[in-house]
Amino acid sequence: MCLLELKAISFGYQAAIGELFDELSLQLRQGECHLIHGSTGSGKSTLLKLLVGVLSRPFSGERVCQQPCSIGVVMQDPNVQLLRQTVGAEVAFALENSGVPSNKMIDLVAHALRQAGLYVALNTPIANLSLGQRYRLMIAAQLVSSPQILLLDEPWAQLDNQGVDELTELLFELQRRGMAIVIVEHHRGAFSQCVTHRWMLSGGKLISYQPCDEPVISVCQLPGLNRRRDLSLLAPVVVSKALTLQFNDNKLLFHSSGLNLYPGEVVALIGDNGSGKSTLLKALAGIQSDIGALDLNVLGVRPKLGRYGASLALLHQRPSRQLFESTVIEEMQFSLKRYGLPIERGIGMLTKLGLSTLANLSPHTLSYGQQHLVALASLACLQPKLLLLDDPFAGLDSRYVDVVVDLINELSQQGCAILLSNHRVQPQLAVDHYWCIAQQTLRCYRAESLAGEVALKHCDGMVSDGYQDVG
Amino acid sequence: MRSLLSTAMAWFLMVIKMWVKRVKTPFFDRSGRDRTSPHYVVRSAKLCALCIVATLCCASGAFFVPNTALIPLLLINAALLGHGRYLGGRVRGLLLLFAIQLLITSMLYLLLHGVERLHEGGLAVTRIMLAIIPGWWLSIVCTPQRIGEVLSWCLPRKWAFVMAASFSLLPYMAKETREIYQMQVMRGANITAKALCYPKHWPELIYCVLYPLLIQLLKLSKQMALAAKLRGFGSHKRPTHWPD
Amino acid sequence: MSDKGFSLHDALFIGFCATLLVALKGMLRLKLGITGHSMFLICFFYLICYGAVGKAGAISACGMLAGLLAMMLSVGKGGPFILLKFALPAIAMDLCLLILPTLLGLKWRFIMLALVATLAWASKGLIEDLLVGMSIAVALVQFAKSALFGSLFAVFAATLVPPVLQRLRSHDLLDNTELK
Repeated sequence: MCLLELKAISFGYQAAIGELFDELSLQLRQGECHLIHGSTGSGKSTLLKLLVGVLSRPFSGERVCQQPCSIGVVMQDPNVQLLRQTVGAEVAFALENSGVPSNKMIDLVAHALRQAGLYVALNTPIANLSLGQRYRLMIAAQLVSSPQILLLDEPWAQLDNQGVDELTELLFELQRRGMAIVIVEHHRGAFSQCVTHRWMLSGGKLISYQPCDEPVISVCQLPGLNRRRDLSLLAPVVVSKALTLQFNDNKLLFHSSGLNLYPGEVVALIGDNGSGKSTLLKALAGIQSDIGALDLNVLGVRPKLGRYGASLALLHQRPSRQLFESTVIEEMQFSLKRYGLPIERGIGMLTKLGLSTLANLSPHTLSYGQQHLVALASLACLQPKLLLLDDPFAGLDSRYVDVVVDLINELSQQGCAILLSNHRVQPQLAVDHYWCIAQQTLRCYRAESLAGEVALKHCDGMVSDGYQDVG
Repeated sequence: MRSLLSTAMAWFLMVIKMWVKRVKTPFFDRSGRDRTSPHYVVRSAKLCALCIVATLCCASGAFFVPNTALIPLLLINAALLGHGRYLGGRVRGLLLLFAIQLLITSMLYLLLHGVERLHEGGLAVTRIMLAIIPGWWLSIVCTPQRIGEVLSWCLPRKWAFVMAASFSLLPYMAKETREIYQMQVMRGANITAKALCYPKHWPELIYCVLYPLLIQLLKLSKQMALAAKLRGFGSHKRPTHWPD
Repeated sequence: MSDKGFSLHDALFIGFCATLLVALKGMLRLKLGITGHSMFLICFFYLICYGAVGKAGAISACGMLAGLLAMMLSVGKGGPFILLKFALPAIAMDLCLLILPTLLGLKWRFIMLALVATLAWASKGLIEDLLVGMSIAVALVQFAKSALFGSLFAVFAATLVPPVLQRLRSHDLLDNTELK
């Protein structure tokens, strides 16, 4: 039975830019799971809005919805969709809004939570849930109003591998019960167990494609992973003989028996959500103040905010937050001017990244990927001695991932030490070492030995399972 | 003028700085648990409503009761002070406030009226304190969540929702402010505590920190409004409530 | 507080501004010093709200919410009357907007609003002082001090708002076109 149908939809935000959708069509039936893949800016989020029926601007074509049809939507960041403080109240929000009597709510909420596989007390504070649990909570908050269609916006990038496995299992179960699911995702290999239809959103149309059958490459076969270089002659930029990262309230993140990071070295910091990756990066930059004293030396001194000037740069998560200037080029030149560095580097960097056409645009009018790149480029053109990148590939499609990888390689060749965090191994990127956090321990591995048995046991499941079709 | 502006900005910057540094224990977290003080004794919303009414009465009394009725009011406030202190409330701030107010007012009385009317000033400052103590006590016995719940009874549903959402987003906002500040300091913005001693760097704080923060708030409000609407907010005339 | 005309998006933005204002103010809890420093934050956020939402009543809504949140968090030294401290200047600003000629440029309009807000805020202090039995002379001196310092802070905040709004608008982040 067809639940929802889009018939020859054409739509564009601005006539000058051209049509975002060009006679786009889609049929959604019970028990189907559609994966819609597309690069940044191809209109994935707009398509979701169109499916939900909340697109605020007029479009041509027809959206036919079987009546009554209810649709549940889980948007990208679960944190901005959580509206209440406890699990029960959060799930009941939709019930409250449809006037369900209070005495019937508890059963319905408990049922939805069971369906979503979240077994916690109804009065559990949301703050105590992990990201994976929050994602389940968001799904339960949709399931409570028994939707026939569930739409998910880029869940893969948000979740670590365990979270993705759990979600796949859950989706499979929902699909079995007849729910139609649409996943909008720029990672093609994700959720392969439950996907029934795959679409590429390109040129304003949905083009069907088959899953890639290429064999999975093992980590040691990845190009350029073995960067055998003797760096030990150089003075390390980060030195720690023994590191225990622990919050002041005694919550332990991890121990490490010693860390060294040398100039020109690229190290990937791998671990699940909440394992302490961001905290370590912030500790290295001297901006994490709720942790105990650390035996840590960065660029020869103890880390402190404002101590390193242009020699240390940190790219936070969602780096578009740092953009404030009126044009992209001003944004690039901001730090160069402040640190008295040649301002020509700004335009040079933009040209190198293929962004020079954007120089005079407002950074806030750019796409997500472009903003991300501009923020990264504004730090890279400082040519720091140590560059810390917190989840630099989050939300980027393969085109932008390649640009970031090239930039990292180039900086490394110039002698910049780079430490980047990720919850999966990024196969395109050549690194010297992996720092893996698991079971509250940080262990260092040479890149080539990660494929070895010990490392794989330790970092079980951390390698991206879908890289055969990326890049 | 310039020195006044300097002081104004210094205050503002101090606030930002204090916030930025305040990582250790946010004064409440999203869970609604207060990590620092285990002393909240009022658990039910009805009792909390009663406390609020009592507080309002006591505080209004400070302005309106005649001098003859001041003694009973003083005794009530002394009891509140004792109770609050017993539950772990800090009275230092109150004492400091009293001392400073007394000093300023006494000086003004001395200057304008001479020694003979000094006691009037003392009495006025005491009344001001009597208006403040009940509020201080309320903040010790009731959690902000409970007070919010009671206050939202008097609000239309939309605004009650907005108030609850804003309140629960406080820790998130604090984190955003801190991170944006740190990002910009690391990018070389002249907004470190040292740089902010010079007035010429002040506008930078507005543009580098407050402006991106406003952009975040605009985006966040848009996303949250969409999330609430997608879950049927405002679609039913008589929405019900989750039984807490 | 009327909720007519505010979309949920507007209402949430107003709420977030109020929260940020109260939280920043909260950091000054019982810290005394210069009279009127809170007028800086109050004016800045109220005017941002007015500029970003662009609807009559936005400032009052922000003021009421800020007052309620301040009551919840027991911010400031007013006890339950803190509500008035935040709400009065806001209502005064909104009332002033009804009669203020729209011909006035944005900057001067904001400065006028800031002065009106300060007057309302200082008047509240004056009435309180008279109620607790201060002599008129002392109360007037306190009022003059509050009005002077408060207006300096308020005007300073008011001059900072138009460029911020201008930037937000030029980056397509504001939907309303009423205020230019």
